[in-house]
Amino acid sequence: MILEPAKKRRPSEDDSFIGIRVGVLLLLAFLLFGVLGFRLWYMQILSGPQYVAYATSNRTRTVMVEAPRGVIYDRKGKVLVENRGGLSVGLLAMDMPDPEKNAFEFDQEISSLTKLLGISKGDVLTAYKTATRDPYVTYMLQEDVPENTVVAYLKEHGADFPGVVVQTAFLRQYPLRALAAHVLGYVGEISSNDIGQQEFLALKAGAHVGLDGVERTYDSYLRGTDGWKTVEVDAAGNPKQIIDDYPAVAGNNLVLTIDSDLQKAAEDALVEGIQRAHASGFDKAAGGAVVAMDPQTGEILAMASYPNYDPSVWVGGISNTDFQELNDDPNKPLFDRALDGLYPAGSTFKPFVASVALNTGVITTNTIFNCTGSFTLKGQTSSQTWKDSGGAHGDVNVVQAIEQSCDVFFYNVGWLMYQQQGAQLQDGLRSFGFGIKTGTGIDLPGETDKTRVPDLTWKRATGQTAEEQLWKPGDEINLAIGQGDLLVTPLQLAVACSAIANGGTVWVPHVGLEITDASGRIIRPIQNEVRNKLDISDTILKAVRRGMRLVTSDPTGTAYDAFRGFPVAVGGKTGTAQKKPDDDYALFMGYAPADGMTAPQIVVVAIIEQGGKGAGVAAPVVRRVMQAYFGKGQGSAASISNPKE
Amino acid sequence: MNKPTGVLQAATERRQPLGFSLGEYLRGMDWVLLAATLALTTYGFFMLYSATHNDPTISTPFFYVRSQATGLGLGLVFLIALSIFNYQRFARWQLYIYGGSILLLILTLVIGSGNATVGANRWIALPGFRLQTAEVVKFMLILSLGAVLAEGVELRHRFRFVVLCIGYVLVPGILVFLQPDLGTSLVFIAILLIMLIVWGIRLSHLGILAGTGVFLSVLVLRILPKAFNVKLLKDWQLARLEVFLNPAKYPTGYGYQLFQSKIAIGSGMFTGKGYLAGTQHNLNFLPERHTDFIFAVIGEELGFMGAALLIGLFAIIVWRAFRIARMSRDLYGTLIAAGVAGVLVFQVFVNIGMTTGIMPVTGLPLPFVSFGSSSLVVFLMAIGLLESIHVHSVAAPR
Repeated sequence: MILEPAKKRRPSEDDSFIGIRVGVLLLLAFLLFGVLGFRLWYMQILSGPQYVAYATSNRTRTVMVEAPRGVIYDRKGKVLVENRGGLSVGLLAMDMPDPEKNAFEFDQEISSLTKLLGISKGDVLTAYKTATRDPYVTYMLQEDVPENTVVAYLKEHGADFPGVVVQTAFLRQYPLRALAAHVLGYVGEISSNDIGQQEFLALKAGAHVGLDGVERTYDSYLRGTDGWKTVEVDAAGNPKQIIDDYPAVAGNNLVLTIDSDLQKAAEDALVEGIQRAHASGFDKAAGGAVVAMDPQTGEILAMASYPNYDPSVWVGGISNTDFQELNDDPNKPLFDRALDGLYPAGSTFKPFVASVALNTGVITTNTIFNCTGSFTLKGQTSSQTWKDSGGAHGDVNVVQAIEQSCDVFFYNVGWLMYQQQGAQLQDGLRSFGFGIKTGTGIDLPGETDKTRVPDLTWKRATGQTAEEQLWKPGDEINLAIGQGDLLVTPLQLAVACSAIANGGTVWVPHVGLEITDASGRIIRPIQNEVRNKLDISDTILKAVRRGMRLVTSDPTGTAYDAFRGFPVAVGGKTGTAQKKPDDDYALFMGYAPADGMTAPQIVVVAIIEQGGKGAGVAAPVVRRVMQAYFGKGQGSAASISNPKE
Repeated sequence: MNKPTGVLQAATERRQPLGFSLGEYLRGMDWVLLAATLALTTYGFFMLYSATHNDPTISTPFFYVRSQATGLGLGLVFLIALSIFNYQRFARWQLYIYGGSILLLILTLVIGSGNATVGANRWIALPGFRLQTAEVVKFMLILSLGAVLAEGVELRHRFRFVVLCIGYVLVPGILVFLQPDLGTSLVFIAILLIMLIVWGIRLSHLGILAGTGVFLSVLVLRILPKAFNVKLLKDWQLARLEVFLNPAKYPTGYGYQLFQSKIAIGSGMFTGKGYLAGTQHNLNFLPERHTDFIFAVIGEELGFMGAALLIGLFAIIVWRAFRIARMSRDLYGTLIAAGVAGVLVFQVFVNIGMTTGIMPVTGLPLPFVSFGSSSLVVFLMAIGLLESIHVHSVAAPR
């Protein structure tokens, strides 16, 4: 039937409803088109703005642009810390496979990264977790990756590493290597404690901040403001064009009061000092510190601590092994001895004790004690601890006592002070800046608060037995020679010595000189700050200075040999501090010029831990630093000018 | 139309082997249909250029446009030829056409090539041309099924005849489904349904068909896979359906495709982002943007206005097609005109519905607009067919 030719019939002839059916179908067709039209109206006009937002987030990526940190200069404009470009690998969580839905791809990528970067899987996962907090922003996984191996591999196998981004980053560079490492500090990822703190507001995990040294103190100046770019990308994530560009603002520069040449001299002198200690039989000498300071301004000219470390190990994130090595080193290279080292001051304390005693009036410059080599109190014999030179000194006044470092004279002073009302000795010493919990106030983080000038209050607070809670004459007598429970830092000694040298001004020491912008314009000078003025008359300080001058200039002075032939007049004081069971600590503090005519320009304090004699080991260190400061060679023929004081 | 009678008529027919003069032919053309078709095709070319001009894999921005132009040239030649040709002859060739289409489909399954990633065989490679056989068969089916229905017009009350017609469509339908091309096999069902309705199927029979259809869908989609683990649909076909039902659960893969398409269309808003200025497709977020998802490019760049213009042009063509169906001088012409209209409506609705998320992703191209020469040539041929019915109804009604 169907194979026969079709009969041609007019539809109207046998089906009058066909027109209606076609018409109904046409209406149905228009109805369907109407549905499409309604759908489009709903999508494009009613929900249009929402889809526009989707489209925008779809095609744009925001990229943080790291601001370069400011450069750190020494006082002469020499670069101490600068930036270099480096490559870093970061994670952009939004482009990475979902760890739940695409677990296999995710695991693959993580293990490939682990292998490629040579870091642990846990580290990568931790970084990923942090990265997911802000999935549109790249989170740094590893800095300073080698270009020819890691980066080349990542570029070649880009498809296997979705969401792994190679960025250029600014990395710290130290042209003078470890010089002034403790002062400079280092930069690293912001710690979780610091996030949200006032000074680090607006910083997110992974941001780089100064973690120690001036990098930390002046972080807000050095840091700069990161910029960002909104980049249009295609479906594969390739950038096509920049839509928004907020350029990064570079951090400001920091000029330090440190003189890099003097710093170098100080660090070299420390090493020599230790070698000298070894040569004189003190084999345990392994550490030390030098502080050089301008007594007229409080500016720190050099501040060295030995052993030190190369701050570049922190660049790109310090590895666990590197950190363990530094942290476990018995010599504690991370420990800044100049700032945090706590020592008995030993005989270097005598000028301060003398100043306080003269000021309270228990002695005058005419007071004479007879030194027989021992001091007896209430039948209890305390044998004199004679370290600086041998023998009994006979009748000595305060100037001679400083010059010859006569302990017996100061035992007498201590006994006299003990008999005074209140704690006048301690109060006087504290006015020099010793034993203050808040430290010297230097613009460096982490200054110790364990410093101590012992007194009755302290004994009561710490003594275990009733006996130990008493402040006894022996305690005061020990304090008078800088021993006992006294703990001072080299920096405190430098500040106190400056006060004697400059006529009574106790400075807040500082290492920052000024903040400058990229063009070198000074944005903020860092003011010299006076902590307090000593309530001690100039006559008294003059007498003390005379004693200190004689230490280096009089043949009977304890450091006469150490400064023989030095062209500039130096005033100083040796110290050989006992800290049982260690070997003696060698100390020296000095200032120059000490001719009494010109104002002293420099104070230098040196300490060699377990180095033995202050005169033989620490004084040459100070001499070496002063040589560098005054620019005179060791063999200079100029004679020592005659002391006028 | 004044009808020549007697000797005069015989003489006219002798002088005019086609049955009409050139003037009658030109007057008999449906110029509105032709104009709408050409406008739509031109529109499609501009959008194809926009969708492909910055494709990094092509050597010249005109690569796709040029390839499509070949199809346009060929299609226009066929359109004119068919408009002159008396469509009634196709009814006589019904058996050959039907047999040829079955042969073509078997050939496609045997020697065809296609998209290896989804394991489909859809094309037969000809010199310089890849023939997507299902596109051609679509229209061969309209022609042959129309003939069968017109022949069996007296059997409308016989359900057995209806079942026979279903079997008649099912054979090529299953062959296309095996390619696999679910979309085109659904087009076959749409052709069958619309032609049966125009033909005058009894309402009761239609009800039985509808009930059976629903039962079979449930069987294939739910019962067979779950109870007997028989999967007539490929996994990716089921996945597309699943994505359509729960788009938010699938942000990648088919869900990604759909989501990006919706973003592109929605973000076009009323006036669009401007020609060549669509960000989503230029930045490669839109997959298949020159073929199945070209409507998303239109929606993004030209906005609601551009989309409305496109749908309006389709509406004109569909309107003219149904009009031709009504004015056809015979049932055969009515049936094939309605079949053509049905295919157009079905594909336009499914394609735009798919890009806007109200229909599942089935991979049907947008007629006259999507890239693909086979589709363009065949749809232009279909317009030629409609013109033929129009011309012969107006210029030579008997």
